[in-house]
Amino acid sequence: MDIILETLSKIGFMFAVIMGMVVVLIWMERKGAAFIQDRTGPNRAAILGVRLAGLVHPVADVFKLLFKEDIQPSGRHRAFYNLAPWLVMTVALSTYAVIPFGDYLTVAGRKVALVTADLNVGLLYILAVASLGTYGVVMAGWAANNKYTFLGGVRATAQMISYEINMGLALMGLVLVFSHTATPGYLREFLGTDFLSGLRLTHLVAGQGELLWGFLPKWGIVVQPLGFLLFITAVYAETNRNPFDLPEGESEIVAGYHLEYSSMKFALFFMAEYAHMVIGAALIATFYFGGYQIPWMPRPVLEAHAGMLLTLKLIAVAAVGFLFALLFLRRTQREKGKFGDLRDNEPRLGAGLWLIVALAALGGLALRPWTLGPEGASLFASLMQVGAFLAKLVFFAWLFIWVRWTLPRFRYDQLMGLGWKVMLPLGVANLVVTAVVLTIV
Amino acid sequence: MEGFLFWFCGILMFLGGLMMVVQRSAVVSAVWLVFSFLCTAGIFALLSAPFLAVMQVLVYAGAIMVLFLYVIMMLHGPVLEDELIPSNKALWPLIAIPPAAVVILLVGWVKGEGLRTMPDSIAADFGTAEHVAQLLLGRYLLAFELISIVLLVAIIGALAIGQRERKLPWK
Repeated sequence: MDIILETLSKIGFMFAVIMGMVVVLIWMERKGAAFIQDRTGPNRAAILGVRLAGLVHPVADVFKLLFKEDIQPSGRHRAFYNLAPWLVMTVALSTYAVIPFGDYLTVAGRKVALVTADLNVGLLYILAVASLGTYGVVMAGWAANNKYTFLGGVRATAQMISYEINMGLALMGLVLVFSHTATPGYLREFLGTDFLSGLRLTHLVAGQGELLWGFLPKWGIVVQPLGFLLFITAVYAETNRNPFDLPEGESEIVAGYHLEYSSMKFALFFMAEYAHMVIGAALIATFYFGGYQIPWMPRPVLEAHAGMLLTLKLIAVAAVGFLFALLFLRRTQREKGKFGDLRDNEPRLGAGLWLIVALAALGGLALRPWTLGPEGASLFASLMQVGAFLAKLVFFAWLFIWVRWTLPRFRYDQLMGLGWKVMLPLGVANLVVTAVVLTIV
Repeated sequence: MEGFLFWFCGILMFLGGLMMVVQRSAVVSAVWLVFSFLCTAGIFALLSAPFLAVMQVLVYAGAIMVLFLYVIMMLHGPVLEDELIPSNKALWPLIAIPPAAVVILLVGWVKGEGLRTMPDSIAADFGTAEHVAQLLLGRYLLAFELISIVLLVAIIGALAIGQRERKLPWK
């Protein structure tokens, strides 16, 4: 019974993270695009004058999509047409099952692993599920019975097959590096093994908490720099984002595979794209940037200095809170009566909220956090790990947006040339060199 | 629970295969085959072979069938109801003969030899990637390499046949 409850809460946590991130990412995309193109971006949608710098805009989007008419083409294949958006979304959400977001959390004296399903073939599971994502796109393209959607579907199949291979090849080097290395001492009891297995994601991340030559974090990018470049390119291709958004290619095939979808069915494709971005970011962080690991601060260090770290953290939060409250107060002065409606109250509200945050942090300091006991320290370490994972997630999600608004789209032959003639040989070379080096060392 | 999952996956696998055969559109057939493969992966997972299960999805459902779909779509384009091959009802009994024969042979084999039961305990690493890798690159190395060469020859052969009319690169 405990197991079911634990698993359900882990699934719930991951689902909340993804869905929350989807909303934030849509906002980040619009604001990021505006920033890169020297515009302001969305700033009109408001609830009682509160605009949250455009964060209210996705709410307006949701209502718009919910109430739109669901127009369906007459020549469609009914079952596939309805199934495709759900398939895309389901596949996008299932990958998260194997991604660890912390090593363990101590609940009532029991150590609960912070991963939904710790498969011993976790890495292959990710590749397998990602490869199924193609079907939703292909089905959508074919079932709508439209030449443009069809072209989008065909493009998606060829692109996915080409880049999946590169993705797998790039990861194999990483698996070689971390297979049969010694388990970090503090996790030996919890993981129940003396040697790591490179295909298990929890082991992969645990291995990245070690130091290389005593000072360099043994992150994936440090031991596999070329593998990282190949992997990140392949991930961008798999998510169908610029510069690899040929299945959608607005200037060539209108909107590609989801052209004939409207209302919530379109919304599912739209959300799935962002969910795929979150997976992509999570995978990059997990494989090449140490997942939940904070550099030079594995769990024992975090636990030993938990009291001091927590104190410093609260002081920092209080300082930032006061600073922001001050900035908002200045805006209140500067923008007095600027709009002449409820929006004028927004800076005042912001100042109040930041003040509350700062005061809460000060209140936390009054509880004397430097005298944290071992249980509190363990909880603190777990929370820090989850926080580190989420921070990396947000950064790499932002990288997706950054790349999209910086690079132009590939031509189709360039896409195929890059995949088969450049990345595949490099991937094989990387694997061979890694194997040779590991044999010698 | 395991028994339930076995019958669940098994029946769905069978239905998927059946639907694949009776469908009149090649694309729909291909998708049913993928469905059947997924259920097969479920059976592998139940048999303590997680590596094989994931490979079934990754290679068969994820790569080979996507390639099949690509080829079907490239050859046919977006065909729907009106361009389908008319089904000949008279041929149906004929089509049923091979599967029926297989079923009869299977039943006969099970009756004669009896189902060998699974051992009570299996090694802890049974069916993991490491175990399969050690078998493939150790005990069955020769067979493994020979199959790779056969596949390579098949690819080159397909290339040669496909480029019949054009000038071959090595001529």
